[in-house]
Amino acid sequence: MKRLAGIIKQAMKAVTAYKVRSFFCLISVALGISSIAIIVAATEGAYKRAFDMVGRFGPDSLLVVGGSEESRAIGRQRKTIKLAYVEAVRQAFPTAYVVVPMTFVGDTVVSYKNKKHQTRVIGSTADYSRAWTWPVIQGSDLVEEDIKGLRNVGLIGQELSRELFGEMDPVGKYILVRRIPVQVVGVLAERGITGAGHKLDNRIVLPITTVMRKLVNETQYITAFRVRFLDQANLKAHEKELRLFLRQEMGAPDDEPDPFRIISPTAIIKFLVALSGSLIAFIGIAGIICLIVAGFVLANLFLLSVKERTKEIGIRRAIGARRRDILVQFLGESVIVTTLGGMVGFVLAIFGSRLLTYIAEFPMHFSWKAFAMGMGLSWIVGITAGMQPASRAAQTEPIEAIRE
Amino acid sequence: MPLCRMENVTKTYHLGNQAVEALRGVSLEIEQGEFVAIIGASGSGKTTLMNIIGCLDVPTSGHYTLAGREVSNLTDDDLSLIRNEHIGFVFQSFYLIHYATVFENVLLPTLYAHRGTDEATKRASGLLELVGLKERAKFKPNQLSGGEQQRVAIARALINDPELVLADEPTGQLDSKTATEIMKILAGMNDEGKTVAIITHDASIASYARRTIRMEDGLIV
Ligand SMILES: Nc1ncnc2c1ncn2[C@@H]1O[C@H](COP(=O)(O)OP(=O)(O)OP(=O)(O)O)[C@@H](O)[C@H]1O
Ligand SMILES: [Mg+2]
Repeated sequence: MKRLAGIIKQAMKAVTAYKVRSFFCLISVALGISSIAIIVAATEGAYKRAFDMVGRFGPDSLLVVGGSEESRAIGRQRKTIKLAYVEAVRQAFPTAYVVVPMTFVGDTVVSYKNKKHQTRVIGSTADYSRAWTWPVIQGSDLVEEDIKGLRNVGLIGQELSRELFGEMDPVGKYILVRRIPVQVVGVLAERGITGAGHKLDNRIVLPITTVMRKLVNETQYITAFRVRFLDQANLKAHEKELRLFLRQEMGAPDDEPDPFRIISPTAIIKFLVALSGSLIAFIGIAGIICLIVAGFVLANLFLLSVKERTKEIGIRRAIGARRRDILVQFLGESVIVTTLGGMVGFVLAIFGSRLLTYIAEFPMHFSWKAFAMGMGLSWIVGITAGMQPASRAAQTEPIEAIRE
Repeated sequence: MPLCRMENVTKTYHLGNQAVEALRGVSLEIEQGEFVAIIGASGSGKTTLMNIIGCLDVPTSGHYTLAGREVSNLTDDDLSLIRNEHIGFVFQSFYLIHYATVFENVLLPTLYAHRGTDEATKRASGLLELVGLKERAKFKPNQLSGGEQQRVAIARALINDPELVLADEPTGQLDSKTATEIMKILAGMNDEGKTVAIITHDASIASYARRTIRMEDGLIV
């Protein structure tokens, strides 16, 4: 043990003595490790974001949106969901404790005095806050009377509130939604963006009746509805049942695709992971190539170093070092260099990921996993690349080494 | 029992398909406490002989026993241990580790030692004092003169208290005054009971020894 500690100390001295060699090995390892650490952090970040979003979406929830995948892609009409289905679903699924219809109206100009902002209008039933687990932080939620009475009242998101009212308290104020005056009764908490990149905080929530009759002049069709189930564990089964149920309700022929889409927590996770996946794969390949190159750089520089230090090896052997001691020293030098490289790489990764987050809004999450992965890989590189030069050093015959 | 005993030792090196007979049947005994000089023309086999005496190399044929142990049956690790505990080497070009300090160089053999080394730093200071380099302990080898470097090498050779000190042309790179100082240190060690063998080309250096072995063409004459 004391011998090992002593030999490692010698290795550390050599690492600081042969600065150029150490520097180049360290940098090349650091580059590889930093890309790998970024990947781990990005993967973790993507998952973390996905789970955050699922958390907000509701892990027990499904969202049914009108229009098939295809019609959505080409921007055609999406009116396939009738308001009547909502009640039918409520009847058919006893564990569905929330079934709420919604109507979205995009790109609507809202104004307060001379301030204007383009926003999204959501028509909802009472208890919007409860259905989406989305707190109302000022004022109060929509109530049943608002819906029944087609009242001109609304909840606004943080961004809209900022744009129209700045620091003022919006509750009680009247704003114009297109030409309709609406009184703000509540302000929703900050919510961020969805997986698909929609800004959730730029919206106004009105009673669905108000939106359908007064804004879009529609009696039958709604944009979407949301279902929450008491038995979250059976969500997958419910999704299947709901799909069949709706196809039947709509009378969709067997050979046609669904005239609606069901968004589930797993779909959100899949979508996000696929989104991050390509960038992660790219950095991953770059990182692995970097590490392989680093390994070759290290192996070659160390081989040169072993040749240059033949006399040192000879003298160590002459004064009693065993082959194994020489091996440990050179392998130690290599692992010390790659460990330092790994640490520098980790620091680089933290800066690099800041940049990525800044330019691509890429979610990053650094945890001990990224660090452990970086360290583990740097040791693997240190040992595999350092092994050949080190065993070459250990095989050096003392009399050859010290011949003058 | 002699400390070293060689019987009909040969050593053949192979360079490609050419065989070089560096030793061609050497028999030799060195007693405990002797001071031996090995002289001879260049290429006569002096270094080869010393390498075998010091267990840096093994004979091609013949027997070599060191302190009663037959060397040819020993493993590489055993030989390393013998060199570490029983033999101190001094070389013509000093061979210090350039990135370690004087003090660390002196301590180096204790790193590979099996026996306890608690006293080592104390011994190292004592030895540096003995060779007159106490103030240079923190220096790096390249900050020292040749004579000083060789004195560090001697201190290093003595740190594990070996029975046998082997010096291959220890004064070969030094001027005659410095050479004399080095020889005085080696002679002093012999006075304290260590067995010393040196290789030299210089008759005045050889005169410090009590016995001279002359080599010629791989044989003792
Ligand atoms: N490792 C080796 N491989 C091949 N030949 C060798 C080797 N070591 C020594 N020789 C040869 O063996 C012979 C004896 O060499 P050695 O080094 O013992 O001579 P020496 O007496 O020490 O000479 P010098 O006074 O020049 O140091 C020489 O011919 C040398 O070339
Ligand atoms: Mg020689």
